[in-house]
Amino acid sequence: MTHLNQDELVLFYYDESDLGGDRSHLDKCAECQAELTRLARVLDQVRPVDIPEPDEGYEGRVWDRLQWRLRGEKKRQSSFARIAAVAAIVIIAFISGLMWNRRETTPAIQTASTGTQPGNATPVKNTPAQQQQSRDRILLVVVGDHFDDSERMLLEITNLTPKEDTDITVERERAEELLASNRLYRRTALDRGEEQVATLLDELEPVLLEIAHAPDTMSANEVRSIQKRVETKALVFKLRVVRADVKADVRATATPHLNQPNV
Amino acid sequence: METTDIDLVESVRGGNDDAFRILVERHSRSIYRSAYRITANGADADDVVQETFLRAYRALPSFDSRAAFNTWLHRIAINCSLDLIDSRKRREGRIDVSEDLSFLASHDASPDRIAHGTEMRRAIATALDALTGNERTAFVLRHFEGMPLEEIGQILGTRLNATKNTVFRAVRKLRQHLQPFTGSLV
Repeated sequence: MTHLNQDELVLFYYDESDLGGDRSHLDKCAECQAELTRLARVLDQVRPVDIPEPDEGYEGRVWDRLQWRLRGEKKRQSSFARIAAVAAIVIIAFISGLMWNRRETTPAIQTASTGTQPGNATPVKNTPAQQQQSRDRILLVVVGDHFDDSERMLLEITNLTPKEDTDITVERERAEELLASNRLYRRTALDRGEEQVATLLDELEPVLLEIAHAPDTMSANEVRSIQKRVETKALVFKLRVVRADVKADVRATATPHLNQPNV
Repeated sequence: METTDIDLVESVRGGNDDAFRILVERHSRSIYRSAYRITANGADADDVVQETFLRAYRALPSFDSRAAFNTWLHRIAINCSLDLIDSRKRREGRIDVSEDLSFLASHDASPDRIAHGTEMRRAIATALDALTGNERTAFVLRHFEGMPLEEIGQILGTRLNATKNTVFRAVRKLRQHLQPFTGSLV
């Protein structure tokens, strides 16, 4: 007589004997019944885990954390287009600057077509200062958004609970995108003489670089180390301060334009 | 009347993220429980919940509305748990079972029995830890969740025979680890 093997007994234990095992044999074989009892005694000891019930407000916290990640997800999808758009703005600003300089070197303003005399000509173009202001404003608005995003990403990092295999995939991907923009903004800020902005972008870059090149999962010590770096440099604080300055500058550069009829 | 999951899914597909918030609030607890069963760790279960909804959000365009959203979501959660376990094992981290030693609910007041129960709990936790991600997941789904082998195979993407063998292997390993303890029980 062939007895049931261990695997067939497992199927009987889980009530899946339709997938294998001879029920009629089990019914009449005391040895197999005893073996099934032994198996059941072992498996019966493995009881379900007592799952700690998440506290009230758990769903809200899940959504708060997730919301940021979803924003990151959307931004990731549009990051290429965004960087391209920023690059386009910088190029347009650069070309328009070149064109303006060329016009400035032209001895006479083209007024013949309007019939006005040079002495009475009403300027219909922005002054160089206005044009410069407009370009600076574009830069400041874009950089302000960049600071917002960077601050959020750094806050996510500093709020992580250090543990083994901390998943930082989302933060790493965000840092990767921010790094690309950061380099572009830093160069532009330097060109425009925005020293405070350029300095902060310069400080931000190595941290973004470190996060962008980190593995998707970090050990508890690696998390602590990067958190310490962010905290030592007081980056979140600096980002808030400079962002506030940038917003003030944006308002300041916007106000004079409101009084200009030709803007 | 409460909006159905499918209506909410359609709304998210139409660009309404607020509908996704409702789905998250509706299902996050049950996803947490599923993840906890497999990972046996609260922090990991939290990570699985996040990852599950993120993957679900990305995959919503390909979600077949004829299927149950809840089942679909749980499948994602199980796969996320499995990925997490595998990734931890790859990095040679052991599963932290310190939070969970409650596999055995011994109510016997005898000190010997309590000591035995505690050791047994540790042994079970260690035995589960020694399983591969697939084995642990298949075993948890079969043993704790009472899920039929065929359905487990669908979730793990394995054929029925392979699924059976995974569970058999898990049981064999558990028995082997628990031999010193169960010898006295048998």
